[in-house]
Amino acid sequence: MAKSQIVVIGAGHNGLVVAAYLAKAGHKVTVLERSSEVGGILRNTEIAPGFTAPGIGHTVGRLRESVIRDLKLTQHGLELRTPDVRMFAPQPDGSAVTFWGDAERTASEIRTRSPKDADAYLAFDKKVRVIASFLAYINVATPPDAKSPSLADAIMGLKLGKAFKDIGAVAGRETIRSLPMAVADLVQEIFDDEALRGPLSTRGVKFTATGPWAAGTAAVFLNDSAGNDGGAPGEATFAKGGSGALAAALAKAAESYGATIRTGAEVTEIRTRNGRVVGVTLADGSEIDTKAVVTATDPKRTLNLCDPVELGPHMVWRANNIRTPGATAKVNLALGGLPTFNGADDPERLKGRIVIGTSIDHVEKAKDAVKYGHLAEEPWLEATIPTLVDPSLAPEGKHVMSVLVEGAPRHLRDSTWDAERDRLGDVTVKTLERFAPGLGELIEAREVITTEDFETEYGLSGGHVYHAEPGLDQFFAWRPLAGEARYQLVFDGLYLAGSGAHPGGGVTGGPGANAARAILSDLDKK
Amino acid sequence: MAKRYDAVVIGGGHNGLISAAYLAKAGRSVVVLEKNPILGGAATTVEHVPGFRFSAMSYVVSLLRPEIIRELELPKHGLEILPLDGTITPLDDDYLWRVNDHGKTIREIRRWSKNDAEAYEEYGQLMAEMARFIKPILSIVPPDPGKISPRDWLPLGPLAKSFKELPQKLQTTFIQLMTMSAADFLDQWFETEPLKATMSASGIIGTFQGPRSPGTAYVLLHHYMGEIDGAFRAWGIPKGGTGGISYSIANAALSLGAEIRTETKVTNIITKGGRAIGVALEGGEEVHGDVVMSSLDSRWTFIHLLDKGILDPEFESDVMRYKYRGSSGKVNLALDGLPELACKPGRGEWLRGAISFSPSLDYMERAYDDAKYGHFSKRPYIDCIMPTLVDPTMAPPGKHTMSCFVQHAPNHPAGPDPSTPERRDASGETVIDTLEERFPDIRSKIVGKLVLSPKDIEDWTGLSEGNIFQGELSLEQLFFNRPVPGWARYRTPVPDLWMCGSATHPGGGIMGANGRLAALEYLKEKKKGRRAA
Repeated sequence: MAKSQIVVIGAGHNGLVVAAYLAKAGHKVTVLERSSEVGGILRNTEIAPGFTAPGIGHTVGRLRESVIRDLKLTQHGLELRTPDVRMFAPQPDGSAVTFWGDAERTASEIRTRSPKDADAYLAFDKKVRVIASFLAYINVATPPDAKSPSLADAIMGLKLGKAFKDIGAVAGRETIRSLPMAVADLVQEIFDDEALRGPLSTRGVKFTATGPWAAGTAAVFLNDSAGNDGGAPGEATFAKGGSGALAAALAKAAESYGATIRTGAEVTEIRTRNGRVVGVTLADGSEIDTKAVVTATDPKRTLNLCDPVELGPHMVWRANNIRTPGATAKVNLALGGLPTFNGADDPERLKGRIVIGTSIDHVEKAKDAVKYGHLAEEPWLEATIPTLVDPSLAPEGKHVMSVLVEGAPRHLRDSTWDAERDRLGDVTVKTLERFAPGLGELIEAREVITTEDFETEYGLSGGHVYHAEPGLDQFFAWRPLAGEARYQLVFDGLYLAGSGAHPGGGVTGGPGANAARAILSDLDKK
Repeated sequence: MAKRYDAVVIGGGHNGLISAAYLAKAGRSVVVLEKNPILGGAATTVEHVPGFRFSAMSYVVSLLRPEIIRELELPKHGLEILPLDGTITPLDDDYLWRVNDHGKTIREIRRWSKNDAEAYEEYGQLMAEMARFIKPILSIVPPDPGKISPRDWLPLGPLAKSFKELPQKLQTTFIQLMTMSAADFLDQWFETEPLKATMSASGIIGTFQGPRSPGTAYVLLHHYMGEIDGAFRAWGIPKGGTGGISYSIANAALSLGAEIRTETKVTNIITKGGRAIGVALEGGEEVHGDVVMSSLDSRWTFIHLLDKGILDPEFESDVMRYKYRGSSGKVNLALDGLPELACKPGRGEWLRGAISFSPSLDYMERAYDDAKYGHFSKRPYIDCIMPTLVDPTMAPPGKHTMSCFVQHAPNHPAGPDPSTPERRDASGETVIDTLEERFPDIRSKIVGKLVLSPKDIEDWTGLSEGNIFQGELSLEQLFFNRPVPGWARYRTPVPDLWMCGSATHPGGGIMGANGRLAALEYLKEKKKGRRAA
């Protein structure tokens, strides 16, 4: 078959994954990245000289095993580090709950709070793993074509049917009952202690605009554990050298297969004619002719690069109604020393995700603010201290803290992010200090990345890290749009390989890998 | 010696009565046992203030299945539905008034937004088409998702087929309706706040959710499924109040030979060798039957009425964790004159329909936010009608009744009892304060009131936690998960104990489909059984 020239837009993790797979298959691939470096949300930033922090995504434990294997990422310099602890959740009363990778160890510590919840936790961890194991099957699948199911669809359907049958009738019912649930109900019906409910519920609303009482947030939780060792507490795996190191390894892999990566190359138009892709136009006016354009940017942004006349009014309307309500911001701190958290007798407990989400109400209230266009008074936070697993990220004895701030809507009703930037930093530090007294004095430098920056600097529509809200209405066979979920997007030769495609957001490489498979089988047909 | 029937129906609400009527119609001997002195459950009319008759709880009807009206000849038995015309949303110095006259409504909406007027046309057609597609679901017996056997999924076959044949546009809409929040769905179409808010209201009625809660869009469709004399979107109130429906069904059942006993409280479902053989009544009397049909919710049926140890623990915990969370209250007012709207003075026809207190999506959402944290909404959503304008027989000449459906009045089992006199008065006052902002002269006209919190509704009707749908209509509690995952086929783990209330598919509202489907499903099984024998 004739090897074709393929253009990939965006060098985030999914862009690099799809580029690597396509180049590996022998195609001539050019990756065009708008910014000056690769990585997208994995990019490292320098808070202050010698202090390296992840731009947005600070853990990478969801990355698909098969992607690491297929693209030989270890050979290309990827070194993953997974501490024993997954999640540390300090409480207002000075106590804390530690969620270890080892469920038994977690349960034995919970037992001192509540024996009932300790047993419940073991059952819950098991339940999460069973349902997640089924979701893992769905996540590698290309969503079916409702209109004209192909033989491949039928086979996939049977495989899924079997996978579903294998988990058993009871678990099957439980899966179908759980997915559309509110994560608040998922944890509330099992645990009595808010100190468990709160932190666990955050897993269903990370990077979303909704609170834990919203239907479908249980699916987000369960999907977060699909295809990885997350279980109940979720993953906490870091890349040595920072998240940027993963991006670098992916770039090396892609290049090793012959892909070309051009940074500082912004695509301003995807050119189409009679429903077919014919090429792209860059900001500098130069043009590249190609029959295949793969985009790892979000679907709304992608379709806005296309000719509205070719799209037609209905598709323009649908594209603009893809929901991208970003509600997460980022604060990176350069610390002169290791902060001490209430309830953390041993820094070992701080090596994973530190979650400040003390009750379902706290997490819900943080997202209430989003509905009315305000920054939450008390956002819920997910912090990590990457220097605890990789000291090389900061000068000797010093530390970096990376904080995701949940409850910061993209659009503020009666202010602007320029005006609120410092308040965002202050609110974050204030909230942290309630659980880590004295943290403020340790701060040597602070970097605040607002939800608006997510859109302007990282190119995320609505500042949404997942490219499209992971609601039940933008899920599986209708992600990003019903009838457009099979990686080919509207036009012949245009493919979506970013988080806006199934299986959605998170550093999994799933959309990129699935898209590559779909694209290759398409090209084979031609 | 216990009296014996072919079928014993627990509960004289509309579904229980409908089940009984269909069983009697098939020649079965049936008895209906109702704990209250009056029939109807939540669909009942009471004279709380002398001379003033209230549809105390359920107050409008639109979903009652036409086949039931036909098959049970309800009009012949006294059912008369008086249409309600339109909905007005009062605001500070303006209003939005939609009526059944399409042209008028479009002109009114154009006053607010030209785009919305155009979108409204398109939207209406789309929803009507959608409703036609969804309707079959209401009369399907759900399969068991735990089983993969084709037989169980067969009923969905035709549906899946018709889904595939739907145009892309409708497929998308269907998916969105099943998954989106009413607010997100409407935001795609409209920009006028009072329009979006008032439309979104139908998505949250009877549920403990706000217009921004995913899954609330689906109920928008119910408005287009409502059917009176075959006319889409028609709403009405039964002559004589909602009790009128219950009594016409009761009359139909009686004329078909069913027995009905009021003030007869069932205290226990009697089982023998694991099978249900009858019920025990307060006072010790027993009534036996080949089948026991419970129109109560699953908590009552399985936890309160069945002896411990009969159910397997797994099933019992499924029943226990089923969500109710009633959050709707009802305020019925007796008025010695007609109140006037500040934003639209006079006593015109705009008062003859629904008066919706839903100025904006934020207003609706904030009412929910208050309730989420356990408080009665500071400014609740109110769906208000004045039945006496269409049915003057409900009050003395020149006097009026006002029926206010109120959300949210949270019923936190853990929280404070909302039905204490103090709290009931406080919530009643909040509602009247809210009314007064639009009806400045209302307070002076009030001569009597009946305030019902979810707790009161529970005490009166037995609906757990006062949920008017016998279980929250959240996505995970619909279709094959209703009333208990895997038991959506009206049968229960206890042989000869069946369910026929709103707790079952297709859910609540004065629809009656549940009672009818349960009875027909039971008769079908008996027939099979005989053939097998």
